[in-house]
Amino acid sequence: MGRVISATLARGLLALLIVVALGPILWTVLGAFKELRDIVTPVPKLLFEPTLDNFATILRNPTIRDGLLHSGVVVSVSVLIGAVLGIPAAHALARHAQRFGDDVQFFVLSLRFMPPVAIAIPFIVIYLDLGIYDTLFGLILVYLITTISTVIWLSVPAFERVPRDIEEAAAMEGCSPFEVFWRFSLPVAAPSLFGAIVFTFVLVWNELLLALTLAAQNATLPVVAASITSLGKEVPWGVINAATVVLVIPPLVFIGLLMGLLNTSVQSGRK
Amino acid sequence: MANITCSNIVKSYGAFPVIDGLDLSIPDHEFVVFLGPSGCGKSTMLRMIAGLEEVTGGRIEIGGTDVTDMPPGDRGVAMVFQSYALYPHMSVADNITFGLRRQGVSRSEIAPRLEQVADMLGLSPYLDRRPKNLSGGQQQRVAMARAMIKTPKVFLFDEPLSNLDAKLREKLRTEIRKMHLQLKTTTIFVTHDQLEAMTIADRIVLMRDGEIEQMGTPDEIFERPASHFVADFIGTPAMNFIDATIEAGHVARAGSIALSLSPELFPGLVPGQKVELGLRPASMDLAAPDAPNAIGGTVVLVENMGAEGQVITQVDGAEISFVTPQFRQVRAGETVHFALRPDQIHIFDPETGRSLRGV
Ligand SMILES: Nc1ncnc2c1ncn2[C@@H]1O[C@H](COP(=O)(O)OP(=O)(O)O)[C@@H](O)[C@H]1O
Ligand SMILES: [Mg+2]
Repeated sequence: MGRVISATLARGLLALLIVVALGPILWTVLGAFKELRDIVTPVPKLLFEPTLDNFATILRNPTIRDGLLHSGVVVSVSVLIGAVLGIPAAHALARHAQRFGDDVQFFVLSLRFMPPVAIAIPFIVIYLDLGIYDTLFGLILVYLITTISTVIWLSVPAFERVPRDIEEAAAMEGCSPFEVFWRFSLPVAAPSLFGAIVFTFVLVWNELLLALTLAAQNATLPVVAASITSLGKEVPWGVINAATVVLVIPPLVFIGLLMGLLNTSVQSGRK
Repeated sequence: MANITCSNIVKSYGAFPVIDGLDLSIPDHEFVVFLGPSGCGKSTMLRMIAGLEEVTGGRIEIGGTDVTDMPPGDRGVAMVFQSYALYPHMSVADNITFGLRRQGVSRSEIAPRLEQVADMLGLSPYLDRRPKNLSGGQQQRVAMARAMIKTPKVFLFDEPLSNLDAKLREKLRTEIRKMHLQLKTTTIFVTHDQLEAMTIADRIVLMRDGEIEQMGTPDEIFERPASHFVADFIGTPAMNFIDATIEAGHVARAGSIALSLSPELFPGLVPGQKVELGLRPASMDLAAPDAPNAIGGTVVLVENMGAEGQVITQVDGAEISFVTPQFRQVRAGETVHFALRPDQIHIFDPETGRSLRGV
């Protein structure tokens, strides 16, 4: 009897937590499909005539469309390069850097200590001199500092958790060091690496300050979203909600894609 | 199949040598066990033969080929790890066949070989499972199958049974031994368990601090231990050691104990010499008080081991134990007499610990 009660209580608590966590998101999503008068009514409306006007406004607006495109390019390129360079580096650190491994790892982490403002100003000057101020290339370049260092920092423990014996067993079967990395360390560490990449992606996807200072014209989505509130006198809540949804969807799609990739890569071990 | 020759092997981590000038020669088809306390360098030695660890000095030959500088994959050896080291992202079948597939052996050739090793190790029902869905014993069988299917020249086992429970350990030990009788592949098996070593080995290499203390068949090691260390390490219950002095007429005396020794086995003993006697509990049994070499002691404790029992007695303030099937008649506090034959007495130099056996 007591067990039933505590189980029910636990379930109730869980349901409450889910509502608290997902409530605002749900409200935002609903708001994205509402007309302004349905949003600003004093009595919240759950039933309403859905409209796609907000999304149309957003996608028709060239600033927002460009922002989406810029964000997509900048973030995917910098995360991709960050992963391609950072993951093998992390493996090397985890396996081969006995003497200076900790120092290197600390150095990598220390790159994240500096407040972005501190590097933003010098970067403006340098970028102006180099002629890459206000370009996507320049933005990708600074984001690489974030992506490479974050990927390394999060992937080293992932590789340290791969049992050394497995790599040695593969070496005994004649695999070269690269094959050992590619066919064993990487797939075995994949679930943790996946987390590292998603985290890195979200980090740069939401980055505002550097994007604002270094690429004001070629604005990314966070910059655009931040400026939407000043689109007109009347606060366009529906548009803001729709913009939020648009801002949130790419990371979700990205996570979904990675999950799929992960599942196939884990299975492809069979070959 | 191949013989293995290690000459003057040195291995140092930093300035500290773990193995210092070790020579070892293993004939073809032999099942050799590296035995010794943990930390004595058994795994290091095995891993150098496998190619997973570089040698600091010396050469290693397998089947007449110098493999010292070869990568592990080219040496024709297969290894079974204590942790099994199965590939978690592959099915059992893929784990076993990975090496062959990697070498480009055709599917039609792999299939019958997979079937054969899977049958031999009882793995046929599990081929589609992931390693994590198998029990420890099954996982270790997969690891063995993975090593066997490549028909290597040499099998290396690094404490493969240590993570299994006692019953399973015994079963797999027998299976490994049977497998060797069938395949006759040269095998090196590392363990710190002397019983495991005794039951499975053709020859035992007993190691201590990176050096070979004694090398020989299980019988040789058990019956003619070359040193105090070997005698102490091998055999359960452990050997009794007693400091004694040699008296005229080849008699060793220690307090109330007087044992007559075999002049043939220990021709070099001189009266007045200090020695250390080694008496195996298992070679002694209850005896009449006036029997030759009888030792009298007060029973402290009787340990029931099923068919036999270990009787621990106090003799002149020191404990001496012996094993007898008639332990049920013995009570604590009683005085008992037990004896052993002169040819079963071991004698060591108390300084060097080496055996004083003449031949
Ligand atoms: N990578 C290493 N670095 C430093 N010392 C090591 C390393 N591997 C082993 N050793 C040392 O070498 C000695 C022998 O180790 P090992 O061969 O593993 O012993 P065993 O297998 O007999 O238990 C131990 O004293 C151990 O501390
Ligand atoms: Mg070991």
